[in-house]
Amino acid sequence: MNLILEKQTLPALLRFWQEDHDVYLPQKLGQFSHFMPLQEQTDPLLGEPHNTRIPPKSLFLPMTETLVKYTKYGTYKEVDPEVESRIIFAIRPCDAQAVKLLDTVFEQERYTDPLWVERRNNTITIGLGCHEPCHNGFCTTVGYGPFNKTGLDALLTDLGDSYMVETLTEAGEKCFQHLTPASAQTEALVAEIQLNAYNSMEIAFPTVNLKEKLEQNFNSDYWKEISESCLSCGVCTFLCPTCFCFDIVDETQRYERVRNWDTCMFRVYSLEASGHNPRPTRVERTRQRISHKFVYWIDQVNQIGCTGCGRCVRYCPVGLDIRAMLRQVQQLPLEVSHAV
Amino acid sequence: MSENKPSIALFQCRWCLYAPSDQEWVDHHLPSNIHLTKSPCTGRINPLYLLNAIQGGADGIVISGCLPEQCHFKTGNMAARRQLDEFNDFLDYIGYDRNRVRFVWLDLQDRGIIQKELAAFEEQIVALGPVDDLAVRVKPVAGGANA
Amino acid sequence: MPDIEKIKAEAKRLLQEGVVDVVVAFKAGDTPLHPQPAFFRSPEEIDNLVYGSLCQNNLATFLTRMPKQSKLGMVVRGCENRSVNALVVEGQKLRENLYLIGVPCEGIVDWRKIVNQVGEAVLNVREEADLVMVETRQGQATFNKKELLHESCLRCIHPTPISADILIGEALPEGDPNLARTAVEEFESLPREERFAWFQQEAERCIRCYACREACPMCYCEECFVDHTNPRWTESGATPAGMQAWHIVRAFHQAGRCTSCGACERACPMDIKMTYLTEKLNHDIRSKYNFEAGMDAQTQPPFATVTLDDKNRFTV
Repeated sequence: MNLILEKQTLPALLRFWQEDHDVYLPQKLGQFSHFMPLQEQTDPLLGEPHNTRIPPKSLFLPMTETLVKYTKYGTYKEVDPEVESRIIFAIRPCDAQAVKLLDTVFEQERYTDPLWVERRNNTITIGLGCHEPCHNGFCTTVGYGPFNKTGLDALLTDLGDSYMVETLTEAGEKCFQHLTPASAQTEALVAEIQLNAYNSMEIAFPTVNLKEKLEQNFNSDYWKEISESCLSCGVCTFLCPTCFCFDIVDETQRYERVRNWDTCMFRVYSLEASGHNPRPTRVERTRQRISHKFVYWIDQVNQIGCTGCGRCVRYCPVGLDIRAMLRQVQQLPLEVSHAV
Repeated sequence: MSENKPSIALFQCRWCLYAPSDQEWVDHHLPSNIHLTKSPCTGRINPLYLLNAIQGGADGIVISGCLPEQCHFKTGNMAARRQLDEFNDFLDYIGYDRNRVRFVWLDLQDRGIIQKELAAFEEQIVALGPVDDLAVRVKPVAGGANA
Repeated sequence: MPDIEKIKAEAKRLLQEGVVDVVVAFKAGDTPLHPQPAFFRSPEEIDNLVYGSLCQNNLATFLTRMPKQSKLGMVVRGCENRSVNALVVEGQKLRENLYLIGVPCEGIVDWRKIVNQVGEAVLNVREEADLVMVETRQGQATFNKKELLHESCLRCIHPTPISADILIGEALPEGDPNLARTAVEEFESLPREERFAWFQQEAERCIRCYACREACPMCYCEECFVDHTNPRWTESGATPAGMQAWHIVRAFHQAGRCTSCGACERACPMDIKMTYLTEKLNHDIRSKYNFEAGMDAQTQPPFATVTLDDKNRFTV
């Protein structure tokens, strides 16, 4: 259903939702926006021309989380996350698509992460499309777009004084009852806004044969060049909505087994107990990061593991830009017999 | 703090209590709210020990070592001084009261000083109250698995 | 602004004459706001060398990431030169394996200050004398460079490289050391609760990405204290105790080694302030021990020296 939501009625709607759910939406934190629970003094930040600093994957895979509490006598107890029903409001299409991609990691046939599943099952996602697509994002290049609907229960399009709400699931419909249906005129306007937004985005790099070129140029000197300025910090991976690596560590001083975000960019990530490290230098690690997103994700679930949110481009401390890196990869040779 | 007794961490260099009675008191008769860590020299005390103690719930820290020129390892205590003094200053800068860290440099001739220092320090810590700033790691509950 | 052609000419000469194997400097980035550190190995590549106020990284951090025996050329500003000296003092490189092209620095522009005012759709950035002209998708904006400078640069005491092998441009006058001192004293004069509230507010945004550590030239430990599991010094996750410990100890490990370059703060993706911590330590080391990191390539920092002369310095 397509409905109209006047912006001035939004605060009342959020409070209404709050009676049965925890509501998360982007709010001001320092100089940027961050998904935080709705509270008395909430200061929503919805008009930014880009996504939040930290991707909302943090609401499903927390930065740090206790898994098991134990004692020195050997008894232990798994922690029950006790997830309340939640609504995430104004999640961007790139981030919602990313959460859906992460489902393929945490909800597999053989292995399921109960913590992830419980959070997913108790969450309703209301998306906010990007009518002015951000400068550093490239969602259309990787097959998605500023009004992509995957992973959303409803999608909002900003019309100035109001939003048009497209409800996509039953849960989404329930959130937006008693609203006026949108007129055919408004629907046409929204279709135009969405199409214009999509078309306004340039293709950042060609994706044809990208996977094959990455595979075939595994030993290329290109990786030595491109990784030399990489600092091997965790900015790109921690701000990435599809990165999911974690470290499980025993915090022995407080008797808890904890899961923390981890990154393949750290040297110690692949350091083995024997002392051997299959990725000892930044060459291997940078190559791994790019290949994971554009080769191995495709091998495993037939989808590119990047949703083009632009955060890694914006915040890399040395200005490395994955779009440029992939354009350069496309200049590398390809054996014709392996071409698609 | 629990039951009005502050939790105090004592880092003692193993040589500074020259009198057997003093060392024996520290080894066997230390009040239960004072937690002892012996090190071969105060020079071994890494500022991370202090931070670890604070984050483990210590309300105050006492570091006990030898006077200059009396160090068993000649200059170990001098190595400690600069670092630990600056660390204490630094913690004060971010809001952790500097009076919660006390250095006790003992003369080899001293007798019975450590007990007095600890008692006076405990009074001072009680006056300061519990730590209300630097985050403490979650304390494990004694006995069965944490609730 | 320094003469970029002279910088390039010198860099080319170093490569042509085989004085160095590689010149470390900057090249134009893939986005206008972020020039990238670059490693030039042939004279032809030097055509891509750039230098400007948006070059925000301290290049000395790459010194410890390159083979120790290699001969390195580096384009350095005041703070970078001192970082290089501090690394030489710590035995990370022999001075004779380095050739420093010194460039007096007028300050590094904090790209965030541009984005906060004109948004992120920046197409072009140009510098002319004291002005910075920014072209965005929405239009043009001109700034006074001074209003865009990173805080650390506003307090800079040594903008001119002190031990470069060649200086490109006129030496700039030393900065006012009182600026750094008053900043520290102002913070110290706040009530204890306010100081801690500020510390906690900044530290709690931390995501433990360690960009600050990697951007810092003096953080080069093979195994950082946060990676130790035995003993377990600090929590490695984004918990209050862990985040506070990380900020306190990383700053403390820079005491007597930090050159106030501010690269840590500029690298942080969460806009966390942390130079107020290292400035306090730098100030204490200056006032108590009359020592500043990297002012020469020989003198050991105060925490690396043990002396009985201290016996009257500390009372009980």
